[in-house]
Amino acid sequence: MVLAAADPVAAMKAMRRARRRRYVARVDVMEVLYRVYLGALVAVFALGFLAGALHEVPADPASVDGIRAHAPAAIGLAVALLIYAGLRAGARGGPLAIEAAEVQYTLLAPVSRRAALRPAALAQLRIATISAAIFGAVVGNFVFRRFPGTAVEWIGALAAFGALVPVAVLGSALAASGRRLRPGTAAALGAALVAWSALDLALGWSTSPATMLGEAATLPLQHGARAVLAAVGAALAVALFAGGLLGIGGLGLEAARRRAQLVAEIRFSAAVKDVRTVVLLRRQLASERPRRRPWLRLGGGSAARAPIWRRDWQSFLRWPAVRIVRVVLLAVAAGALAVAGFSQTPVLFVLPGPLLFVAALDLIEPLAQESDHPTRRALLPLPAPRLMRRHLPAPALACCLVVAIAAVAAAGIGGDFGLALGVGAVSLIPVALLLIGAAAFSATNDPYEYALVPQLEMAMAGAPIATSALAGLPALVAWAVVGGRLHLQAHGDGAAVGAAAATEVLLLVVFAVALGFLTWRFAKIEREAT
Amino acid sequence: MSGATAATAAGSGPPPLSAHGLGRNYDGYIALGSFTVEIEAGELVALIGPNGAGKTTFLNLAAGLLEPTSGRIEVAGTPPGSLAARRALSYLPDTPVFYEDLSVAEHLEYVAALHGAKDPGARIDELLERLGLQGWEDALGAELSKGMKQKASIALALVRPFDVLLADEPLDGLDPPSREVLFELLAETRAAGAAIVVSTHRPDVIAAAGRCVAIRDGRLAYDGAPDPAVLTEIFDRSELEG
Repeated sequence: MVLAAADPVAAMKAMRRARRRRYVARVDVMEVLYRVYLGALVAVFALGFLAGALHEVPADPASVDGIRAHAPAAIGLAVALLIYAGLRAGARGGPLAIEAAEVQYTLLAPVSRRAALRPAALAQLRIATISAAIFGAVVGNFVFRRFPGTAVEWIGALAAFGALVPVAVLGSALAASGRRLRPGTAAALGAALVAWSALDLALGWSTSPATMLGEAATLPLQHGARAVLAAVGAALAVALFAGGLLGIGGLGLEAARRRAQLVAEIRFSAAVKDVRTVVLLRRQLASERPRRRPWLRLGGGSAARAPIWRRDWQSFLRWPAVRIVRVVLLAVAAGALAVAGFSQTPVLFVLPGPLLFVAALDLIEPLAQESDHPTRRALLPLPAPRLMRRHLPAPALACCLVVAIAAVAAAGIGGDFGLALGVGAVSLIPVALLLIGAAAFSATNDPYEYALVPQLEMAMAGAPIATSALAGLPALVAWAVVGGRLHLQAHGDGAAVGAAAATEVLLLVVFAVALGFLTWRFAKIEREAT
Repeated sequence: MSGATAATAAGSGPPPLSAHGLGRNYDGYIALGSFTVEIEAGELVALIGPNGAGKTTFLNLAAGLLEPTSGRIEVAGTPPGSLAARRALSYLPDTPVFYEDLSVAEHLEYVAALHGAKDPGARIDELLERLGLQGWEDALGAELSKGMKQKASIALALVRPFDVLLADEPLDGLDPPSREVLFELLAETRAAGAAIVVSTHRPDVIAAAGRCVAIRDGRLAYDGAPDPAVLTEIFDRSELEG
């Protein structure tokens, strides 16, 4: 007997051991070591290059005081938003993705479901905390160059904070799924925490558990009571996870089965780097459907003159509220990260672009649907490349709006209205075009086209995301001018905005390349079809 | 054979499976509405109805895989999903599912161990032999044909002790000799005192059943002896034969 066991719990353990053995036996150790070696090499070079290229200078005392006073609440607000997302995921059966066989044989057996699910929850926690701790340590490696405190203190604090965030988020999701919270209740709880944290930010308090956790991110700057609050925040995060783990046995199988099926499909799509399918499945997972009634009915006048433009806006006007909120939050987070790039470390300028790219993937939906349905496309009296190009103006205009929200958020959070709105205004159109070009490229990728050449397959999937990072370029250039890092005659806000405007050329060239590729891609598809 | 556990063998306790006013909606669509039924120990019940009638919904509710939106359902007097209900009920789904990296034998050993089956080795060998799975013990789920998957799934449902067996279209994909074996296994299970509910479109299963429960549009349409005349009145012949 391969899995002979004395009792059900021993049987579960024996089964998992057998599966792990089989998994390890299948893994090519040399291949894994080679990948780790390559990844480490690239990471070391990238970090070394960035550290040298950015010429970090110590922050002035006023900036340090500002960070000490406000950063914990701002970071806490971001944590509260993640916990909100965790609660919502939990109310829909997350965060665990359980195999169908695990439901059928283990969860339907007379064994403790808590014992059955605990290993999966801990495995998920392990992966999330290690990844987030590494990311935190990398950020800490840059932050210590600007702020008081040693490298060890900052790297340690941000690694610990990074590890604690998934503890809190997974804990909230486990608690919501174990307690079978209704989606409305979970959203209300999450919204209450977000509002509490926003109040902390507005009033300069540190009362919300999320703000307390935010104190941990700036621990080397904090002393006395605020350092104690950081410890309380950490303890609350751990307690939340422990509570979630204790209640995980109450997980509803109906939501878990539905989620397991969708997550399995998402994993497969992610494995073949099919971003479009991942987007569609994620919407299913969140039960995110278009509204039956649009927010606004368009008049009939534009139907004959510009049917594609109209169709695109009809799509946006049916967005569910949750998608609108998500896109606005992504824009606000992008603005906040741009501000953090100015005040903490310019490495953070890399992040607003990919965040806005996620929003752009929603905006490009009508074009993506044309790509999804080649037969329907072929019935239209329009060459495919032209059809796809005509699907770009409406998303680009909508994306301008999203970038504008990011700029306004940056102005509100950073307090420098002239600089933030100036940089936002001059980079609005090029950044929007860049993001929509990248999203269109990504959404129309055929994941199997380059399946036989893995490097090319990886490049095609990664290029749009990497390209979207260029959206932070205007802010980076403005930061360099304001800090006197670029050898220009003037260093004021006006000079910074002017220098940011100069990046337009590069962004527009990248958009033109994406547009050219899109045209070529659909001309080729049409040629092959005929 | 595994057969019934002690819980319902005496016949004095609550019925192995009972539903009262059971309902289940999906976004306003009524999959099952106010459904009432009691299944006694030793009964073989054919659950019939056209596609989308609510048969699988009922079985999933009984197995604890779905939550009712109204009414109640009990397995051996306890709510589905409770430890006692999980101990008492064995569910054979319409689509076989397997761990992708466990063999047929490992699945059988695992399920038997989870349910505390006595002397599982002999039972596993017997099921493998009778269902024609000998030689396939070490095969993974992905290596099996549709029919072999169905046989492995049947073996997994029968390898453990239970009081209630729910089987959703169990004859799908089986060749005639395997169908005969399944009928024999069901008869033995019934003789051992277990209640069996088989969702089916097949007249041979209906004929073998002592009782027929018909669902149409989520409602109970018939509950009684499998009388072809009555059933033909309720359903088109094509619906019964799938």
